[in-house]
Formats: sequence, structure tokens, C-alpha cells
Amino acid sequence: MAVFAVFQTTFLLALLSLRTYESEVLSEPLPLTPESLKVSVNSTCQCLHLQWTVHSLAYHQELKMVFQIQISRFKTSNIIWVENYSTTVKRNQVLHWSWESELPLECAAHFIRMRSMVDDARIPKPGFWSNWSSWEEADAQNMLGHDPLFVFPKDKLVEEGSNVTICYVSRIHQDNISCYLEGVQIYGEQLDRSVSAFELKNVSFIREKGTNVFCKVDQGGVLGGIVLFVSKVLEEPKDFSCETQDLKTLTCTWDPGSDTGLTKQPSQSYTLFESFSGKKTLCKHRNWCDWQVAQDSQETYNFTLLAENYLRKRSVSILFNLTQRVHPMTPYNLLPKNVGATKATMTWKVHSIGNNSTLLCQLELLAEGKVIQQSNVSIKVNGEYLLSELEPDTEYVARVRCAYTNHFWKWSELISQKFNTAEAAPSEAPDVWRNLKMVSGHPTVSLFWKPLSKVHANGKILFYNVIVENLDKPSRFEVLSIPAPASSTELTLDQCSYQIHVTAHNSVGPSPASVIVVSGDPENEEVEKGRVNGTEDGFSVSWKPQSGDATGYVVEWCDGPQDLPCVLQWKNLGPNTTSTVISSGDFRPGVRYNFRIYGISTKRMAHLLEKKAGYLEELAPSDNPQVVMSKLTSHSFTLSWKDYSTESQPGFIQGYHVYLKPKAGEQCHPAFEKTVLPEDSVCCKYTIDNPEQKTFVVENLQPESVYEFIVTPYTSVGEGPLDAFTKVTTPDEYSHTLIHIILPMIFCILIVMIICYLKSQWLKEKCYPDSPNPYKSSVLSLIKSKENPHLTIMYVNDCVPDAIEVINKPEGSKIQFLGTRKSPTETEFTKPACLYLLPTEKNYSGPGPCICFENFTYNQAASDFASCGHFPVTPQAPPHQLGPLTSPENLLKALEQNYMNSLGEIPAGEANLNYVSQLASPTSGDKDSLPTNPPEPALCSEYKMQTAIPLGLASAPPSENSSLSSTTLLGQGEHCR
Amino acid sequence: RQVTCPLSAPGVILGLLFLSMTATSKCLGKYHELLLQLRRQADLMQDTSTLLDPYIHIQGLDTPGLKEHCRECSGAFPSEDALRGLSRQGFLQTLNATLGLVLHRLTALYQDLPEAQQLVGLNIRGFRSNIHCMSQLLRSSSEAETPEPTQPGPGPTPPPTPPSDAFQHKLKSCRFLHGYHRFMHSVGQVLQEWGESRSRSRSRSRRHSPCRAPGDTALARPCRGGARKMWPFRRDRRLMPRGQLPR
Repeated sequence: MAVFAVFQTTFLLALLSLRTYESEVLSEPLPLTPESLKVSVNSTCQCLHLQWTVHSLAYHQELKMVFQIQISRFKTSNIIWVENYSTTVKRNQVLHWSWESELPLECAAHFIRMRSMVDDARIPKPGFWSNWSSWEEADAQNMLGHDPLFVFPKDKLVEEGSNVTICYVSRIHQDNISCYLEGVQIYGEQLDRSVSAFELKNVSFIREKGTNVFCKVDQGGVLGGIVLFVSKVLEEPKDFSCETQDLKTLTCTWDPGSDTGLTKQPSQSYTLFESFSGKKTLCKHRNWCDWQVAQDSQETYNFTLLAENYLRKRSVSILFNLTQRVHPMTPYNLLPKNVGATKATMTWKVHSIGNNSTLLCQLELLAEGKVIQQSNVSIKVNGEYLLSELEPDTEYVARVRCAYTNHFWKWSELISQKFNTAEAAPSEAPDVWRNLKMVSGHPTVSLFWKPLSKVHANGKILFYNVIVENLDKPSRFEVLSIPAPASSTELTLDQCSYQIHVTAHNSVGPSPASVIVVSGDPENEEVEKGRVNGTEDGFSVSWKPQSGDATGYVVEWCDGPQDLPCVLQWKNLGPNTTSTVISSGDFRPGVRYNFRIYGISTKRMAHLLEKKAGYLEELAPSDNPQVVMSKLTSHSFTLSWKDYSTESQPGFIQGYHVYLKPKAGEQCHPAFEKTVLPEDSVCCKYTIDNPEQKTFVVENLQPESVYEFIVTPYTSVGEGPLDAFTKVTTPDEYSHTLIHIILPMIFCILIVMIICYLKSQWLKEKCYPDSPNPYKSSVLSLIKSKENPHLTIMYVNDCVPDAIEVINKPEGSKIQFLGTRKSPTETEFTKPACLYLLPTEKNYSGPGPCICFENFTYNQAASDFASCGHFPVTPQAPPHQLGPLTSPENLLKALEQNYMNSLGEIPAGEANLNYVSQLASPTSGDKDSLPTNPPEPALCSEYKMQTAIPLGLASAPPSENSSLSSTTLLGQGEHCR
Repeated sequence: RQVTCPLSAPGVILGLLFLSMTATSKCLGKYHELLLQLRRQADLMQDTSTLLDPYIHIQGLDTPGLKEHCRECSGAFPSEDALRGLSRQGFLQTLNATLGLVLHRLTALYQDLPEAQQLVGLNIRGFRSNIHCMSQLLRSSSEAETPEPTQPGPGPTPPPTPPSDAFQHKLKSCRFLHGYHRFMHSVGQVLQEWGESRSRSRSRSRRHSPCRAPGDTALARPCRGGARKMWPFRRDRRLMPRGQLPR
């Protein structure tokens, strides 16, 4: 058996050798089938890796062959890729070939087969393909776990802008699976029952932590996802350059561009490669790298900077000569030396470059941020330079930079140093001006001066000296030292002329003096006045040149409004100047500015030449004047606004508009013009074009009409606000006349009333005394006048009440006053019959025999319940007198009158009684004297006290003295029998 | 599942480490101040704006469909009930051990949250220091009366399972942080009860037998796939002798 095997092997070898020989000799192509084909899956790169051999080759034989590879997906018939791979093949050589799949390999099974063909030039005949190898399957799904849902490719790294295909494999065979890219649903293609693919085109960078893509089963907790790492595209380094500061070390710098670092990928790395020396170094920094210069005096360098990340490499190269890339280090120890008021020396040092190298240094001097001097100095190590023409007391900045002299490449960095020059005496006299005024009768001059500019002060001004010299008395000086920063002082002078010197002093010395002459005489204010126009640049002020010799002019003004304290400003001008522009940042529109132009004489004395007033910009008045209306008649009234000041307005007042709103339907007076107000109401307008006219008479009005008016000033810009009309109503035509009549009447009545009031006591005493005092009674005087000693007064207390017999005489007795007219009350009065014992008149024919004692002093209340109700009435008393008697006063008056009349008219001789008794009985002889009787004949005797009772005590208990009578008499009321 | 006893070697080792780590620090001797400090720290550490929120934002997980998957896996951290069931010493040791694992896990998150991770790491270390002090305080008061049983360790620190892919890693870390904050909230609640139950628990003491599953690696486990592990703390309590430190 072994022998047989050896034989068989030998035979086959011989046959193969023979066939090889034949192929070489006969040049016939042989079918060389690929063998041992193996397929593996690389998930990282999504690659299928193939390896195979060709055993059929002869020993040491090399043939160029073509391998045709077919790749199918899901099933062998679904061929998705065919590629011919040409290579030179040796016997038993393991051949490799890789294929990158767009679709993640985990999502589908792949099948691969291949065939080969000899494609060697040594074989002229056209070859033919070998047989196909058997299909090899690559199925990465077998490596998956048991999760229900997988998404691929895992953690794929791609560049921005790439197209990526993702897929999912579902083991739950549900079709309600949705996939999302950063939360936004994406739609794909179902490749298989459980596999779907999604193509993401032109993916963009979102974050370093990767783009989240996930799929989930709707209404279920199953979730699968991947992170797609999208890297920014690696950029080519920009501005790549190298330079040296000391010819020992090269420093290369570049702009790296975007960082491509991700969680999945570190930031791009940079490698520096030098081609002449063949050396390279991995840079530690992303934008610069150091390179040690070789000691073998290599002058030329060719650097390549290579940037790379996992996905890409970019490089950039430069070629240069080392000495042409020298960038010196920053100089140091820059210091000022010997600093004076106008000079200073600057010293500095530099780092040496190689041996005996020279550096060109540039020294710059800056003041207030601007370069004012520039100098170049060649040095080796130490530099020095003298700066001159400096300003005293000024801060300067000196800065130095240096460059390599042999070949200029770059300036070094700058080194700066500040220094201050020393002070010097002020170089210019202060600008001085004055203001003259009278204070308490003394001429007072206020001196103002402007601080010296920094250029002229040459240091810090410490104080100002003011020397006042009396020109009239040259020997008298007065020196004032005013510490800075004061800028004014006040001097009280007399009527003499004074020359004032003002100097500014710093630590070094005084400035030149500024001289001004003032006189105690008041200024001449009667000068030409004018207006000046304001522009954007300020006020353009011009004046007439002074006739005499003028050494200059001064324009003076106040910066603020008139109602604010004046901040005096002035401007000095040359002798040949007759105009200037006054500008100030403090000027405001709508503010009147007054300018005074002075001429300076050769004696340094200022004389007022002109006055100007102007507005930077005129405005319309903001307020209307306070108008007073007077002389109102039925046809006119007068308006007056004399308190309105035209000086303090926001523009030159050119006049006034008087607006009058007529009553409805009324036309405007011819002097007025019809105008329409902003609120569309019609109004009559009268224009006063004289700003000094501040009264106006509105005429031709209708009586008893309502008018509205407003007075508003106007400037060149416009008029004041039309917002508050004043209403006025014209009176009727006769009211005026009536007033002239009624008022005096009222006055007269008042006078009479006052007199009456003042004389009321007198009248009362005379006309109606409250309580007729018997001692004061006229009856008494009458008695006295009669000188009848038998007549006296009987006091009530002295009387003992007695019975009174009353004889009633009903027939024919009728009281006379009841004869013609009867009122219902009269009938009551007739009940108590009165005994008229004392006839009131001689010819009295009334009821004589009735005796009636009437208490005439009783109050109103008493009158109300006076049961008697009848009283002595003169027979001649007309009936109409009875009516008012119902009132107490009238009653009292009537009673008093009757009483007095009764007393007064009793003839002394005829009186048969020598006392006035409170009780009386009618005499028999008097029976006939009762002409009439009351309707109800009643025996009546009446007793009433003659005691005054205050009104308020009418119902009060009577006094002890009077109690008897009152109790006895009044308490019983009437004693009628 | 096998259950290890409190005297398991890993527990002892961790307990010793815990003591040695903080032995050098100076402790507050006042129980209430220490408790207040612990509660404040727990309040601070339960704040999701310190870790979870920035993590979700940086990782792009704050999108619909993903955020709801950022939930704590049950059993990853001891539940509040489990913590409440522990004795005080047991609670402190469990807390210390859990925070040790959190620190370990946070180290792995350094690249994702470099700044927050450092800050939270400092907080955790400070908190553990206070845990040590509280443990000492409790132990010193109970030594004279009743020897404290050996406290269990939290078990061996499992090597973190390498994430299968970045997506899973994101979700796991997110769930872990969610669980961490929830755990600290529970710790705060329990500490709150310590203060509240001081007076009424003077006469009570707890017996604990905190056995747990060996090698509990719940912290590192995903929510799904594989067996889920709980923190099996026994709820039986033992009575503490009178005169112990106020709780």
C-alpha cells in the first residue's frame, strides 16, 4: 500500500511537471482555481476580509493573475459586487483582499466566491477563467446576542459630509419600529423581514460625544441605538512658519484650524519632519513646536508639518534659510537716565544672537499715545539714546524693539518705559479778564483767569499772584497770592485807575505777567445793541472796529441761561479782528445768550463797544403770558399781560396772537382773521406785531355772550401753546344802568336801617316803652303840670281788694266800636263787661259807667290767654285798628295809647276820684253812658297788675310781692258775676 | 442566590479602609451639628443639576425617546425602605460603601464630565468624612454598653463591565447618575428621620443583620438583560440600650 502511495505521488508530480513543462513550452494557459478561500468579518471597518491561495502553480513560478470576486447579500443569487483583482501570484502564496460594505455587515449575510485567470504577458494566448470557488458565507448576525433589537454600525467614525448607512436587526419581527436621528424620525428601506436600512447623507458634526441614532419599538420599552461619531474635516495647517530667536532653537507655529477630537477620536496630532536631516518630532502642542538647530551649521531647512487623525492626513511644507528667520528676543532693562525738563537719555540691553551679531533697534517716543519721535540705533548688547526737544513736566513713553541686522525678518516684541520730564517755569501769561460792578457804592472788580494749558504751565501751578497798582498813586501796591486751582478773585477799589498784574507760579518760577487796567468809573452801558444768529458751529459775532487804536478785542458772555449764575466766559481777539465765532458745548437751544464786545485800548483798558443777543436755535414759546381781563362791558373787554418778560423766552418775541372764539354763528371782526385751531375748531385771530404792546381791547362783542380767548406770543419758529382758553361772558346792556340806580338805593336803605337800629331805644322809649313806669308816666307829668296835690298814685299793695258792685245795664248799652263791624272774636270780647269809669274824651259818648283796670304791661304770652280781650278803645278809633290788635305789640300799643289818652284827657276838675282805683263800680249816673252793651250782658270787673313781666317769665311763678295780687286776681281769671 | 454574612472578608476590609481613611480627620463632637451637616450635604448631592442634568445635555440625551430611558435601574442603589431598615451603624457603613462605589464609577465618567466630576468627587469625600465622624460618635457612645456588631461591607467592588458600545455606555451612565441622585435623596430622608425621631427613639435600639448578596454588582449592571439584583437589607431591628447617643 505504501509502495502504491509513493508511486501515485510520483506519478502526479511527474504529470504536473509535464504539464508545467508543456505550459512553458507550449505556452498554453492553465486554469488555476483559487483554493482555501476564507472570509472573515471586521466590524470596526465593516470590511469583509478574504484570503486564499493558488496551489496549482509550479515551484518558483510567478504568474500574474486576475481574480474575479463576486459578493452576494442575503442570498447567493443577489450579487451586489463584482470586482477583478489582479496580482502576481506565487505558489502557495496566501492572497488577501478586503471589501468595505456600505451596509453594516451585521445586518445581512454575505456570500463570496471567486475565480481566477492567468493574465501574464508571457502567455500570449488569451486565457480563460477557472471554475468558481464555492460560495463562502459571512454572517455576522451569528455574533449578536439575544437582545430584541440591534442597530448598526456601532460607534462608527466618519467625517463631516459623509454618507452613512445604518440598519437595524429586529428579533421580535414587528413592523412598528421607528428610528430617530437626534430625536428626529428617519425613514429607510426594509431589506428583509427583520432588517431595515437608513441612509444618512451629508452627516454633520453635532457634538464631541457623538450623534445619537436610536430605534425603538412603538409602545414598548425596547430600545436600540448607536452613536455615530462625526468628525470635523481635518484642515490643512495655515500660516506655517518657523523662526529662531537665538540661532539655537527653531520655533514653528501654525494655525491648526478646527479641533477634530471626539470621544472616539483624539484631537489631530502634528508631526514636524525635516527632510535634509531626516529628523522628525511629534509636536506636543497643537499650534507650535520647537526644533533644536543642529550643531553642524545647517543653514537651510525644509520642514513638513503633518497633521493627522484617524480619518485623514494633511501636510504643509516650508523651505528657508536659518539666518533669514531670526526674530530677536525682546530687549530688556529699558531705563531713562538724566531726565531734565527737555532732555532724557534712554538705555537698554538686548540678548546676543550668535557671536558678534549686530541688532538694529528702533526707539520710539510717545506722548499721549502718539509717536512723536522715532530713532534707529545699531547695537550689539547695550543701547543708549538721547531724547531731546521734550516738553517740561510731560509724561512720555519710550519703547524699543530690535531686529537682526544681517537679514531683517521681524522686529522683536516691544519693551516700554514711562518717564516724566522735569518742570519749568510757565511759559505764557494767564489769560485774564475782569468784570466791573458796584457793590455797596464801591467799584468792585472781579478778576477771572483761565488755567494755563499743560503746554504752557510746564508743571503744576501752585498759586497765582495778583499785583494791584494804583496808577493815580504809583507808590501803592497790593499783592495777593491766591492758591491754585482758584481762577478768580474780587477786588474792591476806589475811583482811581488800577493796573493789575496776574502771574501763575509753579515750583520752578512765575509765568509772564498778564496786565489789565481798570477804572473805578462805571462802564458806559449805552452802546449799540444787536442780535446775533446762532449756527451749528456757534454764534458768529461781528462788530464795528474801534475808531481809535485798539490792541485787541474781547468778547464776553455767560455760558448758562440768564436765570442761572453767570459763568463768565471771554475770548481774546487780535486788533485786526472784527468778527469771530463763539462756540461752546454748553450752548443750548432756546436760551438767550448775551454777548458784550470790548475794545482794549493801548492803555490795556477795556471799553464796552457793543451788545449782542442771540439764540443758538430759537424755539417757540413754551408758556403763554398771564393775561388779566378788565373793563368788561356788554360789547368789549380789555386784555393785559404787562408782567410778561420777553427777555427770558426761548426766542425773540415778535408779537402776540390774540385768539377769540366767537359764539356760534358769529363772524370774526374785520380786524381778526379766521383761523382753524389744531382741534379743528374755528377761531378768530388777531396779530399784534409789536412785542412791547401788552394790552389789547376786544371789541364788537355781543351782549350776554360767552367768548373764549387766549393770548400767545410768537417767535420766528412758532407760537405758544393753544391749550388754555379763558371764558368770558359779556353782560346785558341794561345791567350797567340798573347797577347805577340800585346800588345807591340799597345804600340809602342801609343807612336808614342803621340809623333806626341805633335809635331804636330812643324810639322805643318814646313810642312803646316796655313797662310804663308810673313815675315816669306822662300821666304823672300831667298831674304835676296840673299841680293838683290830690292826685297821687295808688299802689296795688296798699289796696285791699274789695267787692265791686257792677251794675249791669243791658239795654241800649252797646260799645261803640262794636257797632259797625264784628268779628268772631269780638263776640267773645263782649262777655266781660267793662266798667268805663274814666271817659277818654269829653265828648265821649261811649259806655261811661264801666270801670276797667287794664294791666297794660303784659307779655305776648299773656296776651294770648288774656281772657278779657277787650280794652279801652277810644270811641273814635276806627274799626280798622282792631285787626292788628290781635298781635301783642299792636295790642300793647293800642292799650298804651288808649291808656295814656284816657289819663291825659281826664279833666282834673271833673274827676270824682282822687285815686286811680283798681276796683271801681260804675256810678249810677253813668248808667246812661253805656250806649251799648255786649251781646251777652255780664257783670264784669277786671283787675290786672301793672307790673312788667319779662317775656321769659310769663309763665313763671310770680314774686312774693306780686303773688298776692296775681294769685288773687290772675289766678281767678275773671271776676265775672 | 447565596447570601454573605456580615463578617465577610470584603466587608471587613472595606470597613477597615473606611476607618483608616478618615481616622486622621478632625471630627465634630456634637451629634446635632454633625447630623445637620450630613443632611445638608445629602441635600446638595441629591441635586440633579450637579451631575445628571449636565450629563444628559452633554451627551445629547435630552431628546424625546431617550430621556425617558434615563431612569435608575431598580436595585442599582439601596432603596429608601432598605436604608430605613438598617441600624444606624449599618446605615452609615452602607452609605460609605455605596459612595465608594460611586466615586469609583465617577472616575470613569471623568472624560464626560471633567469639571462636575471633580466637584462631586470632593463632595462625596467630604460626606464620607462626616459619615466616619458620625460612625465614631455612635460607636463611642455604644461601646460601653453594647458592642456594636460587625458591620457588613458593601461587598467587593466589581470591575466595571466594559460598555459594549458608546450608546449603551451613555444610557448606563445616565441611569447610574439618576440612581445616585435618588439614593442621596433617600439618604437625606433617612437622616431627616434621625433628627425627628431623636426623642422617641431614645429608648429604642435597632438590631441589624445586614446580610447581602455577595458580589453585588448592581451599580454596574444594566436595567435589562441578566438578573437584577436588589440590595437585600434586612428590616429586623434591634433595640438599643438606654443612654445611647441621641439619634
